[in-house]
Amino acid sequence: MTQQVLNAIFIGSIYALFAVGYTLVFGVLDVLNLAHSAVFMLGAVITYSLVALHGMPFLPAAVIAVLVCGLLGLLIEFVALRPLRRRNAPPISALISTIGLALIFVAIVEQATPGTLFSWLWQDGANSVRFPAGTVPNPTYHIAGLTIEGTKLGILITSVVLMLVLGYVIRYTQVGRALRAVAENRRAATLLGINVDRVFASTLFLSSALGGLAGILFGLAISDISPYIGRDQVELKGLAVIVLGGMGSIPGAVVGGYLLGLIEVFALVRFGSNVEAGVAFAALFLVLVLRPQGLFGATLRERL
Amino acid sequence: MDFFVQLFTNPVGFYNQHELLIAQIGINAILAIAIFVTFYSGQLTLANAGFMAIGAYTTVIMSLYLPTPLPVNMLAGALLAGLVSVVVGLPVLRLRGVFLAIATIGFVEALRLGVILNVPITGEGQGLHNPTADPLGGIVPILISLPILAYLVWRLTKTRLGQAWSAIREDELAASSNGINVPLYKMIAFIISAVLAGYAGALETHINFFVDPTEYGITRTIQILTFAVVGGTTNVFGPIVGAVFLTALPEIVRQFAAYRDVVNGVILILVIIFRPQGIVGRGGLAIIRPRWWIRWRARERPAAAH
Amino acid sequence: MRSAARGITIALALALAACGGTTSTGGNTATSYQGKTIQLGAILSLTGAGGVYGPSSKKGADLAVEIINNSGGVLGAKISLDTRDDASDKAQSAQVAQTLIQQGNLLALLGPTLSNSAVAVHPLAESFKIPILAVSTTGINIVPNCNAPSTVPCKYVFRDSLGEETAIPTNIKIYTAKAHPKTGVLMVANDDKFSSDGGKIVQNTVGQYGIDLVDTVAFSKLTADFSPFVTKALQKKPDVMFITSLGGIPAKIMIEARKQGFTGQFLGGNGFNTAVVSKQAGAAGQGAESGSAWYLDNTFPSNAEFVKAYRTKYSSDPDQFAAQGYAAILILADAAKRANLTFSDVAGDRSKLRDAMETVNIQTPLGPFQFTSTHDVKQTVWVILMNGSGGFNLLASVNPS
Repeated sequence: MTQQVLNAIFIGSIYALFAVGYTLVFGVLDVLNLAHSAVFMLGAVITYSLVALHGMPFLPAAVIAVLVCGLLGLLIEFVALRPLRRRNAPPISALISTIGLALIFVAIVEQATPGTLFSWLWQDGANSVRFPAGTVPNPTYHIAGLTIEGTKLGILITSVVLMLVLGYVIRYTQVGRALRAVAENRRAATLLGINVDRVFASTLFLSSALGGLAGILFGLAISDISPYIGRDQVELKGLAVIVLGGMGSIPGAVVGGYLLGLIEVFALVRFGSNVEAGVAFAALFLVLVLRPQGLFGATLRERL
Repeated sequence: MDFFVQLFTNPVGFYNQHELLIAQIGINAILAIAIFVTFYSGQLTLANAGFMAIGAYTTVIMSLYLPTPLPVNMLAGALLAGLVSVVVGLPVLRLRGVFLAIATIGFVEALRLGVILNVPITGEGQGLHNPTADPLGGIVPILISLPILAYLVWRLTKTRLGQAWSAIREDELAASSNGINVPLYKMIAFIISAVLAGYAGALETHINFFVDPTEYGITRTIQILTFAVVGGTTNVFGPIVGAVFLTALPEIVRQFAAYRDVVNGVILILVIIFRPQGIVGRGGLAIIRPRWWIRWRARERPAAAH
Repeated sequence: MRSAARGITIALALALAACGGTTSTGGNTATSYQGKTIQLGAILSLTGAGGVYGPSSKKGADLAVEIINNSGGVLGAKISLDTRDDASDKAQSAQVAQTLIQQGNLLALLGPTLSNSAVAVHPLAESFKIPILAVSTTGINIVPNCNAPSTVPCKYVFRDSLGEETAIPTNIKIYTAKAHPKTGVLMVANDDKFSSDGGKIVQNTVGQYGIDLVDTVAFSKLTADFSPFVTKALQKKPDVMFITSLGGIPAKIMIEARKQGFTGQFLGGNGFNTAVVSKQAGAAGQGAESGSAWYLDNTFPSNAEFVKAYRTKYSSDPDQFAAQGYAAILILADAAKRANLTFSDVAGDRSKLRDAMETVNIQTPLGPFQFTSTHDVKQTVWVILMNGSGGFNLLASVNPS
């Protein structure tokens, strides 16, 4: 059972990291960025590409990938979001245009096989790969009858550190304050002289960088990198997490992430694996019906 | 491009070879109509794939175990979908916007993963073989149903019910203070949408020898959403056009079939940014506006407010 | 290439001659085959989840077509093979099948790759009365009852891919004979027909061999993180772990299980049988055992030439799927030879081809090949072990009874 709790904490870290990016954009821009899961996937794919296809060592590859993902966030902002904001389009439009971008990102990787346009990026098409053995040192510790993998431990530590850093940035820095101001009240923030467009761009950069990092950690921990890891693994679970934790709340996303990991594992142990997959959605549904603002969210403001 | 060449030079042959495709287009069009109904009332519900599943599975299960004739099974499927929509809708419809969307997504996935995969009668992960499938004849009910349903929904939007939906869509608060029973009308839209989706699911079993849960997940729902968005949601023909266009597209651009999703994604973004009203914009195909069309429309609503 | 082609032709001719392949009704009657084309179609998963297997089938089939055409064709008629991708999607598979069938001039079809798609496509072929030969589907209810639960056998559906119903029990039998395990755990993907079929077969078989199945752990085929599932499976400390999934799943489970300290045996189904999976599993998969329809170094007469020709053309080793694709063309070519095709009456030719297929008896890389009375495969089962570095070692071979 304790082993299962450990399993839950590790996967929970990844859920949490992913959800933080999701909820950041929702809180500041009032937009559900459904391209986030595609960026998650690209983080892993780009790192894999640099390591396996171009022979770079892991750490620099990961750093580059994270930065590229941040830039992709800017792409999302400029291509999918800003034009809609200029037109005062309803929020559902942003939802749809991010869906469109996600489709494109996934399809590009899915079709990339040797000899095609994107074969410099990815050569395995729709298949699933893993980081070559030895990419990162991965000792397995056996303590008190439990199995603890080095990579998973590293991921837990990285996630926690990142979330603490993010918390600090949001709370105590200029950038963070501007973010919070815009999240609170966009118009007032403009009046206060805050460049809202710039805040949006930075938010998307930050959120996507985090998403990409979550993807890299996922690829490392789960040994699974494919065009579909965003869509199949975290997209909907990420939704469940931010709903659980409260949309727009970062501590909510963190707590929600670990909570979902625990709920899933608990359902697996108690009710058998058949139920496990549906649990996240049942939880999501219940929360929305009983307490739509989630654990930490502010009471529901009109969002449409 | 030989797709079009064949369409015009050998329509019979074209029909024979692409019957399943045409049937699928028809089904997608009906699904698009279903999501149109909820869009029209201002609700972003993404539950159609779930109701489809209910319609499809009910039809097949009844065909397998009960001696009832096929039309009865299909009707049962559609009605059951409607029933479930009441249960789902009651708690969910007071949510707004994105939250409603997420809740309905949650319903679809919970249905698929929690129920279908775990109840033996549904064949669980393996799905069910459908004894009533008729790939040659199955297209007939689809081709008959589509225009009828399109017409019915179109008429519906002209009635008081439809006008109430429009009002709710424009401004829910104002509509409510004008005496419109908002929750009731929203629920009605949701139920109608569910019944339509359930019926489409039942119809689809005609051309499908097999039903299994992977068909009815989030990907399906998003697909239906794109039909509506690309086609346009101002009137009922928009989603139909969207469905036809997007379903046929991979066949037309066979060379790029592999990149179909890229094309879909690009179209989606372009439409939503540059032509958000969709292909079928405000009031008919905005691309073609012949005189007689404009005059006919004016005659239809002599006392139109705007 | 030349000598391989010659070698194959000789083997083919010998086999055909030996088995009375040169006609039962005195020569190729009215229509000469010279200059005609035998049109075949294939629906394969070249992309998507089945994309791990489809391309292999295609390569094998293409190779056979090339060799046959280069050495005189079938009594002078060339074979043309039109292969379409179904992207591992069932609906698309059915649509592609319909388009191919109703284009009107194909005599037979190969495929589809995945059992999931076959359940949609095979009944379609049956209703259009065109012979279809499955080259990689090994689940249950492929033949003869493609319209299950109806028990009416499908007359036009055949397969040359050894079913799990034979492979899995044979595998278990061989293993229990030498190791006598007591307990086992089944890992199965409950939303994948291939995997859940395999799971059912395991559940139905283990009792006979004295294994107590203490747990069945089901998961979605989309699962990425198997640690909680593996943890659950290992709780009862089983001797054996059965893995009936395909794609990337077997390797992941094996690696995770070894990480969590499992030292028992892995037993699997067809999902184990490609180099891709053996390589993915690496050291963790060493010794994993499964029943296979084919083995690279088997000593059947036509196998060596097949392997050589394949290596020459594709610079890589063939796998089970390539062998089955190749064999399928050999089977169809042989049947076409004996079917007295008219090349003008497509419906009639399809029916004649179907009849001729039932009496096929030739040498293939899979061994001496015949269809059973239910259009299924009767052949040697090779029990193989993953060797820990991307390949397989042969453990035993079990001849058909």
